[in-house]
Amino acid sequence: MNKSKEDTYIRSEGARTHAIVRAGLAKRRAAEMRFRLYGLISIVVGLSFLVILFGNIFSHAWPAFQQTYVALDVKFDEAVLVPDARFDAGTQASADYPALLKRSLYALFPEVTDRQEKRSLYGLLSSGAAHEVQKRLQEKPDLLGKTERIWVPADDDVDMFTKGAMDRNAEEGDRRLADSQLAWLDKLRADGRLEKHFNMTFFTAGDSREPELAGVWGAVMGSFFTLLVTMTLSLPLGIATAVYLEEFAPRNRWTDIIEVNINNLAAVPSIVFGLLGLSVFINFFGLPRSSPMVGGLVLTLMTLPVIIIASRSALKSVPPSIREAALGVGASQMQTVFHHVLPLAMPGMLTGAIIGMARALGESAPLLMIGMVAFIVDIPGSMAEPSTVLPVQIYLWADSSERGFVERTSAAILVLMAFLILMNGLAVYLRKRFERRW
Amino acid sequence: MKNPEKTETKASFAREHDMTVGEIGAANLRIQCRGINVYYGEKHAIHNVSLDIGRNEVIALIGPSGCGKSTFLRCLNRMNDTIVGCRVSGEITLDGQNIYDSNLDVVPLRAQVGMVFQKPNPFPKSIFENVAYGPRIHGLVASKAELEEIVEGSLRRAGLWDEVKDYLLHPGTGLSGGQQQRLCIARTIAVNPEVILMDEPCSALDPIATAKIEQLIDELRNHYTIAIVTHSMQQAARVSQRTAYFHLGKLIEVGDTAQIFTNPKHQLTEDYITGRFG
Repeated sequence: MNKSKEDTYIRSEGARTHAIVRAGLAKRRAAEMRFRLYGLISIVVGLSFLVILFGNIFSHAWPAFQQTYVALDVKFDEAVLVPDARFDAGTQASADYPALLKRSLYALFPEVTDRQEKRSLYGLLSSGAAHEVQKRLQEKPDLLGKTERIWVPADDDVDMFTKGAMDRNAEEGDRRLADSQLAWLDKLRADGRLEKHFNMTFFTAGDSREPELAGVWGAVMGSFFTLLVTMTLSLPLGIATAVYLEEFAPRNRWTDIIEVNINNLAAVPSIVFGLLGLSVFINFFGLPRSSPMVGGLVLTLMTLPVIIIASRSALKSVPPSIREAALGVGASQMQTVFHHVLPLAMPGMLTGAIIGMARALGESAPLLMIGMVAFIVDIPGSMAEPSTVLPVQIYLWADSSERGFVERTSAAILVLMAFLILMNGLAVYLRKRFERRW
Repeated sequence: MKNPEKTETKASFAREHDMTVGEIGAANLRIQCRGINVYYGEKHAIHNVSLDIGRNEVIALIGPSGCGKSTFLRCLNRMNDTIVGCRVSGEITLDGQNIYDSNLDVVPLRAQVGMVFQKPNPFPKSIFENVAYGPRIHGLVASKAELEEIVEGSLRRAGLWDEVKDYLLHPGTGLSGGQQQRLCIARTIAVNPEVILMDEPCSALDPIATAKIEQLIDELRNHYTIAIVTHSMQQAARVSQRTAYFHLGKLIEVGDTAQIFTNPKHQLTEDYITGRFG
């Protein structure tokens, strides 16, 4: 080939290549657009499910943050409260507060005289209403002998009625309130004695059989103590294990076996850990049943592998050049790890740990096995007292037949999710805070 | 190819005896290596290398990629210990002390034999902290003033002081590549090593930064023994007094730099430095 021939050849070949590239361009571009579209669709679908889920929970939970109260002019009558003229802590607790409520309620409806009728009238109030009166007198002992208007919680059926969850046009036998009760309620409302207020009880009370008296605080405290145990055990243990395995342990058959086992443990169904906790911590070591201590130990077993794996990958992602630099100036293995590697791995470790803790917070199955599913009214004050946790509380309420628990179940889910979002937010914050470039 | 007969005798000599051409000994002996073999698992990375390194000399280790020069360098301060599956046999003595003695603590060894790496690797801390780290962990200083003195002295000797004296508390990772490498050199000399190992210290740097580092190496030679691995033959010719040529894990030839580059005695060395391969 002479020079000009070769030149022509190259030029024609170049044009040909160019034409082929051009011809395929549309197809390539279409493929790219299609792929983007698929991604967009999946994100939209995912987001819309999230919106539906949240919308559903919010709309169900919203009414639970309000509670119907009835205003009564209660006369703290000494004749009723102090029949034997002695009023101290002992008699105060056992005094007949319901009688006070009944008196003031019946005074509003003088036409009600029949015993049966009176009972259904009093049934409009919550069974915990008398407790409110007692509490008020304890706060202000000089009320004795005086009259005060007190807002007491209404029964959950009344609550449902005022929130519109009960159809008053239904057959009398099909609804939980009788015609007469509805008439009384109408009169109370007309008098401005029936109102919805913010439901403080929900955030301060423990569990109850009555929806209007039930709250999440007991479960929140139970979750808090359980997570406290889990964190104090799994965080130092997990990080120390990861550091040892990653930085110090020799690579041999034993460490391989340990690694495989840790990875397997991370995949064990959580209820198995519950069974283990039942047989080891409760039956063998005799730790108190249903207590956050045992719950925390079980969740520690469950969280440890997660924290170890996350911490190891955080350690692995620290560039080896940093280790070499430290070793190169004569730092010992431990100085290298503690001065340079750990600070760089910390954000990743913390993120992993917090994600693990968030998982533990949402865990219910293993806790059912160790008795944290019991009906517990008292708010736990320590790690050894019986208690329940938020997800189990949700499970318990979801199982209750009273209509009032439906909204409280959703509200408890919201509380749980608020804590989860808080923890994940903390993880993101810590990662940003400690993240360093190298 | 001017003298085919001579070339033929050299090649056959090497083939028959499989020995290093040239004088492996050095005047004013500091490091003595005898019969070094290195294995990475099954792979035999270095074959029976013997080489001496003298006081106040710069020795350049050259050779094509994967020939084992970096591996050999890392034997000298036991950096290879950190590599899983790496085994070293043979004897290396530093001032008569066997550094592969099982009783020997690597911490003082690495303080004595410092290392500068291929990629600048300052700690993600301030410039001051980078240099102060070594003296601090070895307990070389009693007071803050003394530490500041060492930091300033090291940065001065690394030729970096004037550029960073107003930014000592800024992160070391914010410097340019050449400055980072000089910071790493300052960090190394801050612990007063006797030997400095440099593993391709200029491979990531531009020609101006390279020139500065080369000038620095020349100045450092008065105080330290320096072994430098380099891919640039010009660099080896510029900074070193002796040069060792590695090929496929073997030390082929060692000698005065001038002699290696002008009159190599081994065919492989000649091929490499004339650019026939590598």
